[in-house]
Amino acid sequence: MRKAALLALVLAAVVRAQQPVAFTDAEVKRIVALGPWPPARVVDPSNRASGNAAAIALGERLFRDPSLSGPGTIACSNCHVPARAFADGLPRGQGIARGDRNTPSLLNVGGQRWYGWDGAQDSLWAQSLRPLLDTREMGSSLAKVASQVRAEPSLRAGYVAAFGREPPDDDQVVAVDAAKAVAAYLQTLVSPRSAFDDFRDALARGDREAASRYPVLAQRGLAIFIGSGNCTACHSGPRLSNGEFGDVGIPFFAEPGRVDPGRFGGIRSLQASPYNLLGAFNDDPTRSTATSTRFVALDHRNYGEFKVPSLRNVARTAPYMHDGSLATLREVVRHYSNLDLDRLHADGERILKPLDLDKYDVDALVAFLQTL
Amino acid sequence: MMRALASAAWLACGACAAQTCGERLAAPVHSTESPRYVVAYSTLPARIHVGGHFTVDFAICPRDGAPMPDSVRVDASMPAHRHGMNYRAGITPTGSGTWRAEGMLFHMAGHWEIAFDLVTGSTVERLTDGIDLD
Repeated sequence: MRKAALLALVLAAVVRAQQPVAFTDAEVKRIVALGPWPPARVVDPSNRASGNAAAIALGERLFRDPSLSGPGTIACSNCHVPARAFADGLPRGQGIARGDRNTPSLLNVGGQRWYGWDGAQDSLWAQSLRPLLDTREMGSSLAKVASQVRAEPSLRAGYVAAFGREPPDDDQVVAVDAAKAVAAYLQTLVSPRSAFDDFRDALARGDREAASRYPVLAQRGLAIFIGSGNCTACHSGPRLSNGEFGDVGIPFFAEPGRVDPGRFGGIRSLQASPYNLLGAFNDDPTRSTATSTRFVALDHRNYGEFKVPSLRNVARTAPYMHDGSLATLREVVRHYSNLDLDRLHADGERILKPLDLDKYDVDALVAFLQTL
Repeated sequence: MMRALASAAWLACGACAAQTCGERLAAPVHSTESPRYVVAYSTLPARIHVGGHFTVDFAICPRDGAPMPDSVRVDASMPAHRHGMNYRAGITPTGSGTWRAEGMLFHMAGHWEIAFDLVTGSTVERLTDGIDLD
């Protein structure tokens, strides 16, 4: 009798593992909303170098150039390693000193509303300038960046080609322009289509045969992702991120006794920055992309909130979370499965509940994430 | 009987106010009402998208002799999630009892509740309406 029951359980598990998921129309709609990919290329009106081929070439050169840094030894590409999906594989970034946060991938970095784990920057060019000036990252200065652009013949020629003039005497203007060239380059970093995109498109056009090529285990994981897991509440849209911030129960101590304020500090930095989109360095006189900056709200609940990361290429960007504290995708899924509600802020998202996944469900979610 | 008639008359008047309030707003116009006020509103774009800023144009129509409020605030929240927007709407009067709320953004799909706080002296009257986002 017990043997028969066990056999039935095993058979049920085998059937579950092999049978494609019959998604309902409502579920198909939710899946289709996670695309299409790639997104249409857009020009950033706040950056006059955006989409300019000469600026993109200059930006790529600057991205790989260690001479801009304070010690002259650290390039952007030291931490944003092209072969590692423009991340570094370390728990926390290592520039001149070890940072507090994980180095995010730069794939698909263009066109976002906020930049950085705390969203302290509202444009890709402001974000490109920040690590240059951060004493723990590249330790440079406006004067150092500007003098390097003026003095190095190929950089100077690149600047003239990109901006149509000689670098001016104002260090701040030259350094911001250099950051805008880097941003123009970074906007071109778009990840290729994934197995999930093929599945999503097949579902959208009702092509069952093409859809059946998507692994069944990943389909099961996707069903959890858009269903009982409610992951799409935050990981929504083609980027699989709503671009906003949340407290997901990861401790926010950067080290014992020192808190990383997360989004709270990010909004304060943003509002104090001369490089935000409301400032003089925005090239768009209409401030058409500055709405978020103008109306962003600073609340106490922002403490301990960090940006919802895109899940595209997530299998290539370990370790995970803002502090790099989870080494594998399996650990991330288990984090949400066993969520410690006591670690959430008292006013944290009520949407977060432990998912209580069994081993098969964990495997399925990991399999799904690996297809993104 | 008299009480029933009075109630029916009030309902008729309320429906009338809801129909005419905000007639100059762009369609489709939505409304929410209390015994003292009708707030009619429309959004730009008309269809709100998750993660996209939108504007709310609205009209406040006092009824039964209620005063026009001194000021108004517009906010929104997801009651089931216990959170609001990450943005604070900026309100500007646009004349003739109409206002514009800018900078609104719903960052999640699901049920949102938009709230109009009508401030008169030290009293605040809140009118709400539900908005469901796919």
